[in-house]
Amino acid sequence: MTLAGRVRSMLVEALELYRDSPRATNWLRRHVDRLDEPLRVAVVGLASTGRSTLVNALVGEEIAPLLVEDGGQVLTWYRAGRSPRAQLYPTQAPPRDVPAAKVDHQLHIDLEGWQAQNLDRIVVDWPNRVLRDSTLIDTPALESTPDVGSRVSMDADAVLYLMRHLHETDLGFLRSIQDHPIARETPVNALVVLSRADEVGGGRIDALTSARRIARRYRGDPALASLCQNVVAVSGLLAATGATMTAEEFDALRELAAAPRQDLESCLFSTDRFAGESAPVRVDARTRVALLDRFGLFGVRLATTLVRQGHASAGDLATDLVARSGVLELRESLAQCFTDRHDVLKARSALLAMEVVLRREPRPAARALVDALEGVVTSAHEFRELRLLAALHGGRTTLPDPLAGEARRLVGGNGTALPARLGLVGEPSGQELHGAVADALLRWREQAENHALGHGQRRAARVVVRSCEGMYTRLSRY
Amino acid sequence: MRTPPWLTVLDDTIAACIAHHRADLAGKLERRRALLLDPKLRVPVIGELNQGKSQLVNALVNAPVCAVGDDATTTIPTTVEHAETPTASVVADVPVTGRRAIGPAGAEPARVAVPFAEVATKALVTRRTDVHTEVGVPRELLAGGLVLIDTPGLGGGPVRTAATFAALANADAVLVISDATHELRPAELDLIRQVVALCPTVTVVLTKIDMVPRWRRVADRNRARLAAAGLDVELVAVSASVRLAAARTGDQDLNRESGFVELVAALRRDVLGQGEALASRCTAALAAMVTRQLLEPLREQLAQARGGTLGAAQVQYRAAQGHLDELRKRSGRWQTMLGDEVADLMSDVEYDLRERTRQIIRTAEEFFEVADPARTWDEFADWLRESLADTAEANFAWLVERFQWVSEKIARQVALEESIPDASAAEDLFEHIGDLRAPRVEKFTVGQQLFVGLRGSYGGLLMFGLATTLAGMPLINPISIGAGAAFGAKSVWDERGSRLKRRQATAKSAAQRHVDDFFLSYGKESRDTARLIQRRLRDHFSSVVERVQAGIAERAVEAKRAAEADLADRRRRTQEIAAEVDKLVGLDKRIQALTSPTPRPGLTA
Repeated sequence: MTLAGRVRSMLVEALELYRDSPRATNWLRRHVDRLDEPLRVAVVGLASTGRSTLVNALVGEEIAPLLVEDGGQVLTWYRAGRSPRAQLYPTQAPPRDVPAAKVDHQLHIDLEGWQAQNLDRIVVDWPNRVLRDSTLIDTPALESTPDVGSRVSMDADAVLYLMRHLHETDLGFLRSIQDHPIARETPVNALVVLSRADEVGGGRIDALTSARRIARRYRGDPALASLCQNVVAVSGLLAATGATMTAEEFDALRELAAAPRQDLESCLFSTDRFAGESAPVRVDARTRVALLDRFGLFGVRLATTLVRQGHASAGDLATDLVARSGVLELRESLAQCFTDRHDVLKARSALLAMEVVLRREPRPAARALVDALEGVVTSAHEFRELRLLAALHGGRTTLPDPLAGEARRLVGGNGTALPARLGLVGEPSGQELHGAVADALLRWREQAENHALGHGQRRAARVVVRSCEGMYTRLSRY
Repeated sequence: MRTPPWLTVLDDTIAACIAHHRADLAGKLERRRALLLDPKLRVPVIGELNQGKSQLVNALVNAPVCAVGDDATTTIPTTVEHAETPTASVVADVPVTGRRAIGPAGAEPARVAVPFAEVATKALVTRRTDVHTEVGVPRELLAGGLVLIDTPGLGGGPVRTAATFAALANADAVLVISDATHELRPAELDLIRQVVALCPTVTVVLTKIDMVPRWRRVADRNRARLAAAGLDVELVAVSASVRLAAARTGDQDLNRESGFVELVAALRRDVLGQGEALASRCTAALAAMVTRQLLEPLREQLAQARGGTLGAAQVQYRAAQGHLDELRKRSGRWQTMLGDEVADLMSDVEYDLRERTRQIIRTAEEFFEVADPARTWDEFADWLRESLADTAEANFAWLVERFQWVSEKIARQVALEESIPDASAAEDLFEHIGDLRAPRVEKFTVGQQLFVGLRGSYGGLLMFGLATTLAGMPLINPISIGAGAAFGAKSVWDERGSRLKRRQATAKSAAQRHVDDFFLSYGKESRDTARLIQRRLRDHFSSVVERVQAGIAERAVEAKRAAEADLADRRRRTQEIAAEVDKLVGLDKRIQALTSPTPRPGLTA
């Protein structure tokens, strides 16, 4: 039985066991339903880390942030839906709909008269392809709302953690979301985003390259590596603007790029100069201010340079901006670490929820369920794979060089599809796949018995063998 | 030269620290004193990671003296001061140990000169954390003794944070850096608060304004946040990259736009040449903090001494008093209880005795209704003696048992773990039974029988003889003789029956008398015993209670004495502490006077 199936049957068993407790029943039923929903990914970070901008960048439309009357923010869920719809969940009252509309890829919503402290969350249904794979949860700044951390670890299946540089506070939060016995066993649900990458180095033209270098360094940082699956540098502003760039904006940029290089450079020294009345360019000041808001100083620098280098159409430019922003890498990483592992992450959330019930309302009859839960957490192969990946990632387990890469690939570090696991490109035939699996299985069986390797390494090899066996069964089923 | 007032206050504070056995604080202040007397003005540049601290220092002196980078870059502090020619060196930190001040007394720290052009990269490659770089550049701004200190960013690990705070401890004024891409965070406001406590001359510098379109709004909101936090500090907005570009191109407009003109003006106005004022304010802040630290435990002690809580001695005294009262109350009660219980007991015992003896008498009477005492007396006497012995035994056992119970009850009442006296005064129970005197029993001898028979037959003979004489028969004839014999036999028979009756009556009365005697004598003895035991119990318990009372009273007296001593001691100590507190408060007033006479020459002045 698959992990998801086992977890589902355990949930059903728990429902049966706790049928006399309305609270537990309600809670468990919600989690049974949750198993079939899209993955919930929370976007979390300190103030001014660009959480809402990143949500917009991922969705490609302007839907975040939703600010209530006092300028505060509440947990906002963005779900896929047929038509725009917004539901408010007040803390002391039943949920209610508020008018919401989609105009020019923007969300318009009326939050008149609501204050952050009276609202538990806002749920927005939005017609968008990205949201079909994962529900995004935009959160208030960590330092402004102390319980964001605990809400996120209960409500979300995975976390995108935004930071601008690695601060001790960030490490503290990443540790806190895994401060739970089951979460510690399976530290597989966090991605770190080095956000506002366009502002690295004061927005120099090579800012994004530099940001990627920093992200690479963080990936190797042992403290961070053991807490997250990957670190990606992203400029949310560039990605969001690139996705929604208008023709007028492109025209203005082309006009700017046409100005003498000397003049443009001198007025791009600072935002004050660029937005000032006396800038020696033929674009009026209002448009320039609007451009700054949408692109940022770096964005304008980059866009004008790209236009000058020959991007003739708005589409070209937009594609290039999005590609350079790093959001594609983030999407890829999201797919690899989260959506590909949808079942595992869902199962993990369900196990966490079940553990809460078993701990809060212990009863003798639940003993078997507690044991089963422990058994699943420690022995499910999916978790073992992720644990091995995390161990290889964080340096707790090391394998000699060619083996390490292969092991990572075979247990699904580059994606869980068969070709990705086997390192085959294109559309390999069934025979090719068979051959590759058989070959890998043989070699790793040898490694599992290889006495030149240490105990931990042989154990890692056994996990790889088990993965290969799994692939073999999957193949022979076709 | 006249000693400046801040120096006197500082010295007094150091003296106070030593008086209060706070050598650690005294050491800190002494180190600080040496630095304050130094004409150099140290201005550390601090802030969170990647806010542009190093770039700010570079832009201030227009030279690449500090390493800058996109990642967290600065790992060790760099001091930048005036020198005739550009110099640079990497210097090992002097470990700060105990109260030894850094100064001329210490050995010259290990110093390695490095080429000026490479100082920034040298600082970058060093892995050591116990060194810092020192740079000298010929700059007019620095000529007045200004020393800029670039520090590692906060939040990058404890070692770097420690380096930053070490720089802060020696500061005359501080620049706190926060970039314009975000508003001041709670953590940054906390930092500013901490800095102000250590060194009140603080300027917040908003950097990177070149890349934030709405930096003016950020600046305004930061000012509002600072004001809301009660922090009276100035905020200057600058752009280091614009300033460096201006320096490269010599463009004066760019330099004005960079905001550095205001920053330099602020430094000239508030730091340069303000050595005395800065020292005075630093001293005020530091000394105020130290006196607060000294005062806090003293005030606590004072509050404690003034009797928030009772001393141990007083608590004991109160407990002893309470115990004594309780005991007195109980002793009245137990005596009444003993009297009542004994009266009950005696009546019960007597009733029991009476009941038992009556039963015996009844049995005896029933017995003698049929039995002939002449034949069964011995047997009866044995039985009677045994029964009485049983009665006495049972009754006495009961008595003893009841006493045991009573004494236990009283012991419980007195609530003492004292032994209970043994009530079983082993009296000789059987002496009360005495000898059973046999009743006088008339024997019906043959002679007597003959006599009675003759007397009876005489009447019959005469009666029938006279009657038969009428029939002409002689007086003595066979009929009269027969009748005489019959009459004789009957009277003998009758006589025998009446004698038995008499004997039985005598025996009954003898038995009853005997039992009465027993009842009388044993009853008396029993009562005596009861009274004796009662007396013994009373004596016992009185003595026990007295002993306990005496013990408690003694303890109470002792406790009282201790409490009095404690109180006196406390009063003395309170006075002492109050005097100390007064002294420190006086010092604190002088410390505050350091800053108050002239309105604070803040950076805003």
